[in-house]
Amino acid sequence: MQANVRRFPEWIRRQWPSGEAHQEVKALLEGLDLHTVCQSAHCPNQGECWSRRTATFLVLGNVCTRKCAFCGVSHGQPLPVDIDEPGKVAQAVQRLGTKHLVITSVTRDDLDDGGSAHIAQTVMAVKERNLETTVEVLVPDFGGDAAAIATVLASGPEVFGHNIETVERLHPQLRDRRYSYRRSLEVLQTARGLRTAGFVKSALMLGCGETEADVLGTLRDLRSSGCDAVAIGQYLRPGPGNGPVAEFVTPDQFKVYEQAAREMGFLFAVAGPFVRSSYRSAELLAAVPAER
Amino acid sequence: MAMYTVVLPSLGDGEDALKGGKVAFWLVELGQSVTAGGDLLEIETDKAAFVVPSPVGGTLREKLVREDDDIGVGDPLAVVELD
Repeated sequence: MQANVRRFPEWIRRQWPSGEAHQEVKALLEGLDLHTVCQSAHCPNQGECWSRRTATFLVLGNVCTRKCAFCGVSHGQPLPVDIDEPGKVAQAVQRLGTKHLVITSVTRDDLDDGGSAHIAQTVMAVKERNLETTVEVLVPDFGGDAAAIATVLASGPEVFGHNIETVERLHPQLRDRRYSYRRSLEVLQTARGLRTAGFVKSALMLGCGETEADVLGTLRDLRSSGCDAVAIGQYLRPGPGNGPVAEFVTPDQFKVYEQAAREMGFLFAVAGPFVRSSYRSAELLAAVPAER
Repeated sequence: MAMYTVVLPSLGDGEDALKGGKVAFWLVELGQSVTAGGDLLEIETDKAAFVVPSPVGGTLREKLVREDDDIGVGDPLAVVELD
């Protein structure tokens, strides 16, 4: 019999989520009717993260007003904002005992403030109920609205994240037309300008057809925009409706990018096939003190 | 002798949860032993390959799915004779 042909290289392999801790997180999230990007994006790290009792909460519903070619989150008519959501996230964090939390959201072009106040309320609710917990937000571009960025920052997240996602050349193909590479850099720059402490972080995914020169150029752009932390991972196709993977970048090549980012002056850089903006994000604060 | 039917664990009831994949390879042959938490078979989703662990230790007595089968969460995968 002919051997089956593997569709994925050896390094794109995870454990199917199972186990008691995983089931506990699942039951808790379902009980509180909360969404996670772990599920919405079919993240292959779900098993590992949930087993460590961490999850990345997706607030403002699980329907995005924008459609990017790489993303697994549903898009279309967004859901009404659940005003109880900040309290429910805070409760989940308390019950899970999460020490570092990532809060992200869908893009809400339908809301006047882009949902920034709701994100800020979620951060504050989490911190009020969980004094030891550090928070990282991963936000959309808010249409470049500096007031929305300021609203989020005022809630006191230790890490402000906005993902550039891909290199400039591939932005028109992969991102919703309302996103732009330059605007994303401006968002990071605005955040840096408003921050006196804490981190500004971004992430990009590889394997979409970019060259090494494209990646290094993007890292330089991020650094010169005031970004001090970066996460670089492999694009993995969430489903048949998303664009194909052009290339599986080798673990060695990821290390090349990680080293290059450090040499450019990023305080924290992590790169690898399963690295995501929120994956093992607590390592940033563990590696570099927030007060510098 | 006690038999245990291994099923593909659910990842959540939400509409967003991963629902299953395609069987790529068996990693244990009939009559071979498997430990609790040990790799049993490999499945592929659109996004990545996953190894499915056996929740129990014992001897693999029956394979209930074949390579290239599409499987969903909750589907029975194998029968393991418990140690």
